[in-house]
Amino acid sequence: MLPVVELEQVTKVYRQGTTELRVLAGIDLAIAPGELVGIVGASGSGKSTLMNILGCLDRPTSGRYRLDGQDVSALDDDQLSALRNRHIGFVFQSFQLISQLDVLENVEVPLFYGHVRRRERRALCRRTLDAVGLGGRLRHFPAQLSGGECQRVAIARALVGEPALLLTDEPTGNLDSRNGAEVLRILRELNEEGRTIVIVTHNMEIAATLPRVLEMSDGELAPVAPRAGGQGA
Amino acid sequence: MGLGRLLEVFLLGLQNLARYKLRSFLTMLGMIFGVASVVAMLSVGAGARHEILARIQELGIENIIVNSVRPPQESKSQGNEETRVDRYGLTFRDEEVIRSVCPTLETLMPVNLVRQRVWHGSRRVDASVLGVLPRHLTTFGLDVGRGRTFNQVDEASAAKVCIVRRGLVRELEALRDPIGMSVTIGAWPFEIVGVLEDERFRSHTRKALALDDRAHEVYIPYSTSMRTFGTLTFVERGGSADRSIVDLDQLVVVARSPDLVFTTARIVASILERFHERKDYEIVVPLELLEQSERAQAVFGVVMVLIAGISLLVGGIGIANIMLASVTERTREIGVRRALGARRRDVLQQFLTETAAIGLVGGLLGCLFGLGAIQGIVGYTGWKAMVDPRYFAISLSISLLVAVVSGIYPARRAALMDPIAALRSE
Repeated sequence: MLPVVELEQVTKVYRQGTTELRVLAGIDLAIAPGELVGIVGASGSGKSTLMNILGCLDRPTSGRYRLDGQDVSALDDDQLSALRNRHIGFVFQSFQLISQLDVLENVEVPLFYGHVRRRERRALCRRTLDAVGLGGRLRHFPAQLSGGECQRVAIARALVGEPALLLTDEPTGNLDSRNGAEVLRILRELNEEGRTIVIVTHNMEIAATLPRVLEMSDGELAPVAPRAGGQGA
Repeated sequence: MGLGRLLEVFLLGLQNLARYKLRSFLTMLGMIFGVASVVAMLSVGAGARHEILARIQELGIENIIVNSVRPPQESKSQGNEETRVDRYGLTFRDEEVIRSVCPTLETLMPVNLVRQRVWHGSRRVDASVLGVLPRHLTTFGLDVGRGRTFNQVDEASAAKVCIVRRGLVRELEALRDPIGMSVTIGAWPFEIVGVLEDERFRSHTRKALALDDRAHEVYIPYSTSMRTFGTLTFVERGGSADRSIVDLDQLVVVARSPDLVFTTARIVASILERFHERKDYEIVVPLELLEQSERAQAVFGVVMVLIAGISLLVGGIGIANIMLASVTERTREIGVRRALGARRRDVLQQFLTETAAIGLVGGLLGCLFGLGAIQGIVGYTGWKAMVDPRYFAISLSISLLVAVVSGIYPARRAALMDPIAALRSE
């Protein structure tokens, strides 16, 4: 099967005056549909940069990135926006909900930019929010929700457009252990339903429970051997 | 982009405004004042133009009205007051000279004006009795709604007939049809042959024609007036009789065409200057009123345009300022929207629509304030205003335009943000 994510010798170089900072040093990565992949690494290892490139928020300096079979390297800003809209669902550490919008409106945002009609949009959002157990909170504002609920709204927002890749950045980082576990359970369930999910985290305990873990270190990506007894290994 | 979608983005913008009511209102303040003054300026300007045109129409654009004016009294000690007869004003010679000298003249119409009481039974009404030539009524656009107008026979035979205003008939409380009714003017019986359609002249017209504000006009043939009332006027004043002789109370000079009005007025003025040592006449040129009022309007217009311009400029700057603050405040939102698939132009559009919403709401409030301002101006100055829906449309378009132009820079700044940096901002 065609990989969802395929990186070939992807580099990212930042120039500051005369010094060059090589943040990504030729990364090769393939993620097949239905995979649940953890990416770990210390801060400064290039983890965020890789995440931004995977999320089409940033472009590689060189190399090739195919998302869902489409070469991303040559796309312009508008096309990248459209690609993010259709193919990527983001879940951020700090939820990144829009505080002026209620739950339903927040989940609607990607569909709005995907030019889905209002009525259809509403129906899709309701269904997705029901699925994450927030069907009764449609008219609440983010400030009225707990952290766990906010992250579930964010997951609903990431899912509602049926993206090829769910990209989560420290999804449990701002949550207590119970809510963190709940969010992880939801992600695992989604993976079992066949969704491709990348979890970027520095939490090795969480990483240890994932079937495939890669570690960023000095701009290089290397597989971490699954620990004995790791789930799904 | 579809209309529905635009509407949706716009409603979102309105929602955002509603969330910060006070801030939005303060942002709009400049806009509100600007639009209010545009609306007021246009309405008051139109009202003044309309009023002046109506006034000129009543007086006739081809007409020049020359009134006899009692000159300021010389020192009273001089002469014997009991026997003194004051002679002033336009003379028959003036009339003759103007008629024979002025080449741009269409016609000259003398008017003999006396104050008399009109009686019907026991009812009495004060009237300005104008002795006029048959042409006079048509020249001043006076429609005889009922009955007939004067003819040459009335003039030649000095018939005791009169044409009156409707108001006078009402005040006489005559129960019968006024046409053919007999009234007494001074001491002489007259027959009403016509009733004028309109109630009365505008106050400016009455002033220009030297008509008393409270008296009703009664028209009689010129020859009748000269024979019946003559040129000598008695006025009882504090026990002593004030006698004066005025040949012509009024002379209506009609120019051949509107282009020739000013030339004719100059000729008439120079003739009168030559024959009169005292300034015992006044020349009213209706067409001049138009120019005077336009000059006054121009001053008013400049002031209002300045106020409107400054308000709109300040309003625009205010909007730009608030939008810049809003863009900074909502950096993360912008980042999120970009990550979720908003293109740069979607962000641009979002912020421009918000400023458009400010402009529109501000414009609508401005229109309301403008209506208030019009009331105030009309109440304070007594000017007339004409409110036209088009003025609101114009003002709203201006406010929308100003708002959107002010929003361009902040919106561009929002659109060009780097999504990664925006997402990371606090």
